[in-house]
Amino acid sequence: MSLYAGTTLLALFLSALFSSGLVAQTDVKIILEGKGTMKSPLMLARFKGEGPVGALPSQGRVIARKDFELSGVFNVADVEPLEGKPTPDPGMAGTVRVEGTVQQGDGAAFFRFHGQAIDVGTGEVALDRTYPFSEGTLRETMHRFVDDVLEALTGERGIAETKIAYVRQEGRVKEIWMMDYDGENQRQVTHDRSLALSPSWAPWGTELAFTTFKRGNPDLYLFDMTRGASYPFSTRPGLNTAPNYSPDGKWIACTLSRDGNAEIYLISRDAQTARRLTRNTVIDTSPTFSPTGREIMFTSNRTGSPQVFVMDVEGLNQRLVTIEGSYNDSPQWSPKGDKICYAARHDGIFDVIVMDANGSNPIQITSNAGHNENPHWSADSRKIVFSSSREGKRQIFMMNADGSDVVRLTSDGECFNPSWGPRPKARLAVKG
Amino acid sequence: MRKLLVSNHLNRMGDTVMSLKPRFASVALIGLAVVLALAPGCASRKKVTSEANVQPPPAETTTPAPPKEEKVLPPSTEETGERFSLEDAFFDFDDFSLRQDAKSSLEKDGKFLEKNSRASIVIEGHCDERGSVEYNLALGEKRAHAAKDYLVSYGIPATRLTTISYGKERPFDTGHEEGAWAKNRRAHVVSK
Repeated sequence: MSLYAGTTLLALFLSALFSSGLVAQTDVKIILEGKGTMKSPLMLARFKGEGPVGALPSQGRVIARKDFELSGVFNVADVEPLEGKPTPDPGMAGTVRVEGTVQQGDGAAFFRFHGQAIDVGTGEVALDRTYPFSEGTLRETMHRFVDDVLEALTGERGIAETKIAYVRQEGRVKEIWMMDYDGENQRQVTHDRSLALSPSWAPWGTELAFTTFKRGNPDLYLFDMTRGASYPFSTRPGLNTAPNYSPDGKWIACTLSRDGNAEIYLISRDAQTARRLTRNTVIDTSPTFSPTGREIMFTSNRTGSPQVFVMDVEGLNQRLVTIEGSYNDSPQWSPKGDKICYAARHDGIFDVIVMDANGSNPIQITSNAGHNENPHWSADSRKIVFSSSREGKRQIFMMNADGSDVVRLTSDGECFNPSWGPRPKARLAVKG
Repeated sequence: MRKLLVSNHLNRMGDTVMSLKPRFASVALIGLAVVLALAPGCASRKKVTSEANVQPPPAETTTPAPPKEEKVLPPSTEETGERFSLEDAFFDFDDFSLRQDAKSSLEKDGKFLEKNSRASIVIEGHCDERGSVEYNLALGEKRAHAAKDYLVSYGIPATRLTTISYGKERPFDTGHEEGAWAKNRRAHVVSK
């Protein structure tokens, strides 16, 4: 515990930054950038190599550096490794220093990464951990280290280990694809040679629900990543679309039209029970669970055009949420529960809006850059992935939840419908 | 601090954002008014006479109908050697109510189905590229159902009419302007 005590100030600053954007302490250095994003300085040392480790230190550092940049929390500066033990430097309070060493492991193809995060102001080591890895797992090892650093400094893990599912179109064929959160490792998931759409992650992170036309009708299928195979989940007549898992993974909210009209249903994950939640003659679709699992937000055109509504999980107490705009669709409840992102059409253009979960304080966070749609939160509620036509064909981009730091993630084919996966289950790392 | 950030953000957005609120509100009102105006306008019912039902369908049409601009020849009809056209119904943006031209097209389809009592059709609902995958799949189905309901009210048994929605995923024109969009907002009628 004493190891972490020295970083209290820094942690306070960072957690305050995460939760409300307020400055908790006055003696930390604050850098204001762009739309008021406050970032903490991070000195990232050149990674050292011990033994025959080739280019692994520099390759690993490139990955870690990008992760720290994309975290939205740090301004990264490149420095030389520390010589000797860290000493307190009160003038540098609020600054983080990260050190890394790649060592030869047991056997030619095995290595160890030893990483440290140091609070420069106090000289305290906030994280000191060693990770065994092989050449093929360098990337995920670096992602895990960065997430560990963020957890040590802020109390909350980062999202460097998460993945994003999306739809990629080639010609008339649309398939589900997946990539790391930073756009690396893009790989095809479905091979239906048809229309595969609307991927949605199971909360345990190894299953996707999606819509596919491979048997002619828009059916819901589940893709099991551990088996690399998909199987039918709901193939009722009419629409089987817009899946979204409940936080406990026991239910999948979706749109069915077996009654002749698009209605929102809950289907149990074992496919044994289906509960209808909406009853009317209008369109109800795109359900999204609240993180408590007690409420569902959705799109309905019952007022004449698409708007965002919310209801209890039993289907009761249905009410309008979006109070501005004539066309609001694709709501996504943030994992923290306090915010909603959605796509609004205004003046013929689609843009991403973030608002409070009760519908107040809507803020447009994209603008003047083509159509921006399909917003989806990261697991830490700090980033949003979305599709945009700002560079021509639709591609996947991500940004901070205030609209800053937009990064393009895809460039091939036409890509849309991004769905950001959950954090992987906690894995054990060897304490250093 | 937060408030400051927000206002900075809005200022950066400039006029676009600042003018959104009033415009959004007025558009919503107009939208509501349009819906209210459209609501009573149901499809006019046309009952098919029993005469028409018992009339034997011509096995082969010797004189093909003169070609029209919106004529559609599904591949399956060419395979069977039949010569006829099925017409598609077109829609306004984010709308599934049948316009007068859509009703006229569907009435022609209804006549064909009367004459060819063994023919069955698939009505595909399609949308333009604007809006989400999920909403447009539902909207496309609404369009297909609107066309189907009209044909049923015309007198065609529902058992001969199948519907499917492709939403915005199978556009007829991949352009990004109203000319293309107008072509893509349709109930596409295909012989089975």
